[in-house]
Amino acid sequence: MEFFKPGRQFDFMKQRVFWIPLSLFLALSSTILLFYPGPNYGTDFNGGTEVEVAFTQPIQAGGIRSALEGGEFQAVDVVEVVDPKIPNRFLIRVQVKEEEKLQAGKQAQIRNALCFSGDGTAVDAARCPENARAVEVKFSPGGDKIVARYETLPDSKKIAEQLSTLPDLRFRPSENNPHVVGTASKNDHKVEIQLPSKGDVLFDRLKSKLGAIVPEKPLKVEWVGPKAGKQLRDSARNSVAIAIVFIMLYLAFRFDLRFAPGVVVACLHDALVILGVFVVLRKEVTLTTISAVLTIVGYSMNDTVVVYDRIRETLPKHKGKTFAQIINLSVSETLSRTILTSTATLLSVLPFFIWGTGVIKDFALAMLIGIVAGTYSSIYVAAPLTEWIDTKLAKRGTTPMASPSRTMRTAAG
Amino acid sequence: MNTTKRNALLVALICFGIAAGCYRADSFWGLVTAAFIGVWALFLVLPTMDGIWRFKAGGALAVVLLAGLALWPTVSSMSGGKVKVPQYIKDRVPFGIAKGLDLQGGMRLVYTVEVDEAIADKRSNGAEEMRQKLAVAFGFHKGDNRISREEMLKLEEKVRILTPETAVIRLKFKDKADVAKVDERFKNDFVHEMAFKPGPADDEVTFKIRTEVETQIRERAVSQAKDTVAKRVDELGLKETGVATRDEDIIVEVPGQNEKAFAEIRDIIRRTARLEFKMVDDTTDFFGRVDAKSIPESESIELRQESAPDGLQGKKELNKSVTYARIMMREKESLDECKTRFKRWVDTLGVPDDRQVGFGVESDRGENGQSRDVGWRTYYMFKRAELTGEHVTDAQTQTDNRQGALQYIVQLTLSPVGAERFEEVTGANVNRRFAIILDDKVDSTPRIMTKIAGGRPVITMGGSDPDVQLENARKLEMVLRSGALPAQITLTNESVIGPSLGQDSIDKGLKGMLAGGTLVLLFMILYYRSAGFIADIAVLLNLFLQLAFLASVSATMTLPGICGLALTIGIAIDANVLINERIREELRAGRSIRAAVDAGYDKAFSAIIDGHVTVFISGLILMQYGSGPVKGFAVTLVVGIVASLFTGVFCTRLVFDWWARGRKAQRLDIGAEF
Repeated sequence: MEFFKPGRQFDFMKQRVFWIPLSLFLALSSTILLFYPGPNYGTDFNGGTEVEVAFTQPIQAGGIRSALEGGEFQAVDVVEVVDPKIPNRFLIRVQVKEEEKLQAGKQAQIRNALCFSGDGTAVDAARCPENARAVEVKFSPGGDKIVARYETLPDSKKIAEQLSTLPDLRFRPSENNPHVVGTASKNDHKVEIQLPSKGDVLFDRLKSKLGAIVPEKPLKVEWVGPKAGKQLRDSARNSVAIAIVFIMLYLAFRFDLRFAPGVVVACLHDALVILGVFVVLRKEVTLTTISAVLTIVGYSMNDTVVVYDRIRETLPKHKGKTFAQIINLSVSETLSRTILTSTATLLSVLPFFIWGTGVIKDFALAMLIGIVAGTYSSIYVAAPLTEWIDTKLAKRGTTPMASPSRTMRTAAG
Repeated sequence: MNTTKRNALLVALICFGIAAGCYRADSFWGLVTAAFIGVWALFLVLPTMDGIWRFKAGGALAVVLLAGLALWPTVSSMSGGKVKVPQYIKDRVPFGIAKGLDLQGGMRLVYTVEVDEAIADKRSNGAEEMRQKLAVAFGFHKGDNRISREEMLKLEEKVRILTPETAVIRLKFKDKADVAKVDERFKNDFVHEMAFKPGPADDEVTFKIRTEVETQIRERAVSQAKDTVAKRVDELGLKETGVATRDEDIIVEVPGQNEKAFAEIRDIIRRTARLEFKMVDDTTDFFGRVDAKSIPESESIELRQESAPDGLQGKKELNKSVTYARIMMREKESLDECKTRFKRWVDTLGVPDDRQVGFGVESDRGENGQSRDVGWRTYYMFKRAELTGEHVTDAQTQTDNRQGALQYIVQLTLSPVGAERFEEVTGANVNRRFAIILDDKVDSTPRIMTKIAGGRPVITMGGSDPDVQLENARKLEMVLRSGALPAQITLTNESVIGPSLGQDSIDKGLKGMLAGGTLVLLFMILYYRSAGFIADIAVLLNLFLQLAFLASVSATMTLPGICGLALTIGIAIDANVLINERIREELRAGRSIRAAVDAGYDKAFSAIIDGHVTVFISGLILMQYGSGPVKGFAVTLVVGIVASLFTGVFCTRLVFDWWARGRKAQRLDIGAEF
């Protein structure tokens, strides 16, 4: 079986006037999208709300997930807790979007309403009696709880009254809300004010979808911090930066300085495109997405190197041809392998996309986009960039560079 | 049979002989090594192809067999016992692949950070600073270096620094008029962190840590504790553990069901690794003033005397007799329970706020010469820490034979500031004892014989069994390097959790993997015919070798790890596609089969090697600098790349060579006619 008649040549570089602007547009718009509106970081990066529920009857994790997914909940983490005392116990974790948290302006309003005086701001004595002046106001990261501290035993009715001046602030329906939760010493009192949380929305949805097997109340609704904190993000970013430097050094050594930037730019292009698509589709960016991006970077790197290798080989054979012609020849010669490899890889990912759920489906999606982008970028990002560097920076246009070093080339085996 | 073959046969026989010997001596890995070299040598004797080919093929076969051995127990446990594994191998191949949290679930541990400790720390630091400032205000001290012991004692005559509550410092002056020493400048130095209040008595002033500062300390303590726990768990290897915070809790999720591994992780996490160096106060003889009759008889506490150094008078080293208290363990009482009991008694003694009673383990040499722990003893010491774990930059396990018996010690390397401080402290306290305290336990109290420059303090591991000592030393070394927890953490909840992906997703994922794999393999056969079949074998072999390696390092298999596998398999296929395309090109150019195979491999190799090396470099770097799941991904990537070179290039070449030369094939079935 053969895809192409051997020896057939295509003029890839002729169409670059169309493809290069497209690549630029994709990469640039993805970059902008990464800042505005920014990726929709999942619970792995941003933390989320964790609801612990003990169902009254046995249920599968998949059943809970499919009941919740769709609508405002995307990737829902459902984990069964094996507990002999409480059967059918599950932890359900969902993301809290940035816009659902208490914004800075709102926080300032609340602080003001609670007569916050901790930083020495003067407060209106009429509105703020001695026992209703908060010395500290803390907001939970999930936007579902306010904790205030007082130096004199506060009056919770008075606090509710103070907060009722804010029109769009609703309390979570509960008997004693706000209430005094603890007194550490005689001049340190803690008051908790509960707001409607994502956990409540989740629990309501569970009730409406699963009906009778959902208990009266969840065991616990709490905010959990991110798994992948700053440490992981920093280490991932640093290691990628160091890897780029070393790969460029290696390519400069094996090929030529002109080749090195192409690989890196092509990889960046692919990573950006994947993340861009995720931003547009409002898909959650999780640790698994990051693995998919790293995978694609590896794939794209390999793909680009194969095209480069052909260019390196063709260059000395065809002195007098333009760089663009040599790219055409090399890409044409490797075209059947390019199609073959990308088809094989696509085939291996496709079933995950068709049958997968949640995280797996998202992973497969990232891989599908990445494989297409990785294959495309070798031809239309890396190769033209090398040509551009060659003609513009090295000013060689029609006389291609001397044969790059092939010192390490030896027979296989 | 020629000489080479005879020699090979000889080598094989010798190897099998050694293998048998190793079996008798129960040296499993000796047996394995000898047996595999034997198989390799035996392969050389086969009447096929040439010597070089047989040498390569025999090596490849030995590697595959070795991989099979490493993977055997894993396959057995994953198939639920359907694949049988002999007990002999099961006992001696202790590793295997564990499924990660997302695929299998594991244990969920909830720790609560005792944040009050971090606040108390802050307060103690504040108190220390105040002491320094007051010493200057009273004219006892000049300059920036720490106040000496004599100055401290002089200052105590004038003002006592009390700490009645976690967040409160109270200065109680002997002379009411001295309250004025706390002037505006003094207050200003602390204004950012502490609120000032006069009183309650007219010879006292009170400082309280501001609420917002307290909140900050709490939050920082939790996040710092989380980072430290994550670092420690990371150091345990490829465990793919999830660490997250929840308010003042740290949630650690550990994959697997191996109770032994859980115990190890619990132990490592729990260690606060708070290291402190404090001066022992032998001058006061605090326990000398305790009335022995006041001790309840039932408590098995007694007061004892020891001779202790007590500083210098001119050049003369002073010694004095000092009292300490000792408690003996009751029958069936643990060391910790005994300490709690001891502490309860000590708490009734009214130890001043700036002193502290430290506890050290008392041990006893039993009849067989082995030492065992019998109880605790006290050390009366200054509360202020001269040095802490913050000043330790490295820790290393070493052996020490000076006392006759083998002893393990952990040697600490101090930061430049720490070393300077150490020199200063030792210089000012010659012929006194200082206590090295680890996690609230006095490890040792060496006498300072002379000023120690560039000090490298050591921590001893007690006199127990050398194996236990070594294990403790290793753990201590690890926790000291990963940094101390800012406060103690307590395990508040522990539960077993199911897979986070959910069984349904996993089933579908498996189905997807199977379908995807089959599609790719079929596609290769369709396109390249027999050559495609060879490539398929190479890919499967690649997967097999990767899994075997992962099993041998007891890696945890997670979704990101599987991504790494998928990528290397893609690259492995690519290598074969490159080779096959090249062979086709050469055949098209009219070369003979042998020449086409040789040229095909030769020309494809430069692309393959460059592609592999670039991916390998990125894998290595991600492995070195990445953490958590990124690291797991990188390890599979690096292993896969090496395996891909081996199977995709080396092994397939063997088959092609055998095909082209050995069978003298007239046409190469590579899916296209020429």
